[in-house]
Amino acid sequence: MNVFHRHQGATPYLLLLPGVLFLSVFFVVPLGFLAYQSLQSGNIDFGYAFTWQWSNYWDAIQNYRGEFIRSIEYAAIATFFALVASYPVAYWIAFRGGRWKNLLLLFIVAPFFVTYLIRTLAWETILSDHGFVVRTLQTLHLLGSNGRLLATGTAVVAGITYNFLPFMALPLYVSLEQIDARMIEAAEDLYASKWHAFWRVTFPLSLPGVVAGTLLTFIPAAGDFINAQLLGGPQNHMIGNVIQSKFLELTDYPAAAAMSFILMAGILVFVFLYARLVGTEQLTGTAA
Amino acid sequence: MTSIAVEHGERRNPLAAVWSFVKRHVLVAYSVLFFAYLLLPIAVVIVFSFNNPPGKFNYTWNSFTWDNWRYWNGVPGIQSAVVLSLEIALIASLIATALGTLIALALVRYSFRGRASTNILIFLPLSTPEIVLGASLLTLFLHTTAVTFGFETILIAHIMFCISFAVVTVKARLVGFDRHLEEAAMDLGANEWRTFQKVTLPLIAPAILAALLLCFAISIDDFVVTYFNSGSSVTFPLFVWGAARIGAPPQVNVIGTAIFVIALTAALVNILVQMRRSKDAA
Amino acid sequence: MTDQLTRRQLLERAAVGGAAITFPGILAACGSSGSKASGGTTSVEQKLAKTLNFSNWTLYIDVDNKTKSHPSLDAFKKKTGTDVNYVEDINDNASFFGKIQGPLSRGQSINRDIIVLTDNDRYLGLMLRKGWAEKLDKAAIPNIKNLAPVQRHPNFDPNRDYTLPWQSGMTGIAYNDTLTDPVLNVTDLLENPKLKGKITVLNSMGDAMTIVMLANGDDPTKVTDKAWNDAFNRIKKAVDNKQIRQFTGNDYAPPLARGDLAAAMSWSGDIAQIGNKHIHWNVPTQGGALWTDNMLIPKGGNVYTASVYMNYVYDPKVQGLMEAGDPKRNITGIYYIPPVIGAKAWALKFNPAIANNPLIFPSSETLSKVKIFDNAALNNQKYLTQWQNLISG
Repeated sequence: MNVFHRHQGATPYLLLLPGVLFLSVFFVVPLGFLAYQSLQSGNIDFGYAFTWQWSNYWDAIQNYRGEFIRSIEYAAIATFFALVASYPVAYWIAFRGGRWKNLLLLFIVAPFFVTYLIRTLAWETILSDHGFVVRTLQTLHLLGSNGRLLATGTAVVAGITYNFLPFMALPLYVSLEQIDARMIEAAEDLYASKWHAFWRVTFPLSLPGVVAGTLLTFIPAAGDFINAQLLGGPQNHMIGNVIQSKFLELTDYPAAAAMSFILMAGILVFVFLYARLVGTEQLTGTAA
Repeated sequence: MTSIAVEHGERRNPLAAVWSFVKRHVLVAYSVLFFAYLLLPIAVVIVFSFNNPPGKFNYTWNSFTWDNWRYWNGVPGIQSAVVLSLEIALIASLIATALGTLIALALVRYSFRGRASTNILIFLPLSTPEIVLGASLLTLFLHTTAVTFGFETILIAHIMFCISFAVVTVKARLVGFDRHLEEAAMDLGANEWRTFQKVTLPLIAPAILAALLLCFAISIDDFVVTYFNSGSSVTFPLFVWGAARIGAPPQVNVIGTAIFVIALTAALVNILVQMRRSKDAA
Repeated sequence: MTDQLTRRQLLERAAVGGAAITFPGILAACGSSGSKASGGTTSVEQKLAKTLNFSNWTLYIDVDNKTKSHPSLDAFKKKTGTDVNYVEDINDNASFFGKIQGPLSRGQSINRDIIVLTDNDRYLGLMLRKGWAEKLDKAAIPNIKNLAPVQRHPNFDPNRDYTLPWQSGMTGIAYNDTLTDPVLNVTDLLENPKLKGKITVLNSMGDAMTIVMLANGDDPTKVTDKAWNDAFNRIKKAVDNKQIRQFTGNDYAPPLARGDLAAAMSWSGDIAQIGNKHIHWNVPTQGGALWTDNMLIPKGGNVYTASVYMNYVYDPKVQGLMEAGDPKRNITGIYYIPPVIGAKAWALKFNPAIANNPLIFPSSETLSKVKIFDNAALNNQKYLTQWQNLISG
């Protein structure tokens, strides 16, 4: 596939140097500082000191167990809905799109040319208590007459789902598009029903896309706090909200740092288990 | 590629015919609904950019006006925020793409010790929640006086998270690259540098451009990482956040729409050109 | 009037700010307000900067309804030649502090000459304790003599060396008369089932706890653990049974205007500036909170220019117009409580209706019903953590 250069010598390292150096200084080192800070104790009045304060971690889990669980919950539900919602469209574009594939993909991606915050604020307007959506749901008796959508978990999950849709749809499309339609034909020639053909042939072949999409959606969603802030109420706060307030408002850096690591660790564990379960080894390649 | 093998054993039954009509078009119908759902908030944003709000809050439609567009910078602070966002996006995307392209070249074309670790290093920022990226950078900046909070810290942060995107984009193109073209050039007497200049670079240029655009889009839109590291500087997303708390003025919608239209136009042109090319080739 | 913050200008401003530190800093260290260090004066100290960067809360300055400009700032420019870069980027003390503590803790300027923080939150005292505020150039503020007596010796800044009040205000309850009957007390706000999910409470501990403690019959000026727990639990109950929709800073205004809220714990002057005649504001029947927003000069700010501006707003005539606005010229005022003696007399000339508004120029009877939160409680770590956990879920 790729012919490696004969006289490579130091060339690859030279090519890598600037970028890797930058990332080391501004990604790896900060994480190190964060780890260091997570074991500190103190406050902004009298300063912080490094005291191997492992209790920061323990306290964080104990005190904010609810928010951690809620973050995973919301992110998982949003990912699931994103998957279910985008799969048919990705399928349609991949198999029936023809010449118009790229144009149709643009329809999926275009809404996300509008700033994330502005989109979410638009949802705040759309889901407002006296807005069209809520009134319709009330007429259909899907929502109580005093019911509302804003400041509920539903709105937050809906916001997360919406905001991360292209992260699910695009990888799905990419892997579906690569499936050779003749394989499906072959399955049907062998008397499989359309449905069977889908489940036994198409879906398994699209699995790499499903995996990539799930990861690309779940991971950022778990750490999100904007949807919870704008569309949710005090009962819908995610761990991102707590980290944000601990860092910037309470200036409780050690606790905030510990929580950040717990979040990261949780996500990495999840990614690892998920990769094992689904069996894709080229995780890094899948991301490409 | 259009459908599908003839359905076996289907009797000429009107009910079955209806059913197969539905089956054939349900995907289309669903997709149309899906697109409508995606575009709903965008439509709201665009429509309300033309609204003349009754009072301070832009939530109910009052009357049509061009004023918001004409006086888009009438709101104090919005112009400097937009300018800052554009500046940062431009510089960050250039630097990130340059660094990322170099890394992609090294990763794809060379086998060296540490290749796997480099891959992991590139992958990690993509799989770290933005809040952790922002918070850890803040922690770093709090422990040094070498950088000033504001333009410098924001720029560094943006370059950092854009590099991975650039690498991934360019890498994808490089992986499918036909090396024989380069070999042919070298067989014809070009040295490695000239080959790179005249053959490789033009061929991966679309990928570099794509990486540039991707980084630009990501940088202009970034909120979380910037929020943690901006000091008292205000980029456009930060401006929106602040303004929204007391009622975002319609000018926010104007800028949002403008960015949307520009990006959409660029993408459309690109696609239509591609479609035309493939049609000609066919 | 908007400055284009190019990188060059940013660096320039930081440099000017940095240069300004040296001279007033030396003066402050010498502890005298008139002597000049040997070596001659730098021209920086006595020369006004071309721009004054002023961060303030929203809806907190006079505004010309047609042009959306700020008449008092325009007049200041005409008088002194200094352009005021007025930025309304403060929504609540906590998040603003969060933004600026990074640079300040590294000794960097935040490119602001004046910022405004509230005294019923811990951050004002914290700024002073950490040495992140510049000393005022009192020689440039002769009008300081107009400061209301009750404001002259606050416990966080006994000699008014670092801060000067901008405005005072009261915390109470606003309600939308198209959506609900009058909401006049805490019991209604927190416990009326008809308002479930349609009310908000302020995320500021000093505001919310004062009001609820008063409703419980306790004294918020001297907080005891029992009083704290009673008030805290009352609010927590309202959170748990979903009575409270959200905790807000001044972002209660959009949902209140949208009709998503029937009532909101809110600040007195905001409602007037929102300008919706269906929204009414009252001090709760059992009492409300009193607070004062203070101007201070963050480290790196231009002390002289900031002090000259402060002197300008302490002129009773200027304050009167800023405060009351002028309906004849379509100017909306601040509508909070001014700290300047003599402002009322001028306000009567510009806008008698406002000048006679007891919320803006409160009688001693009204003032007796509003209390200032106990400063010690503001720095009690236990209370702070409990409160933070409550409002961020």
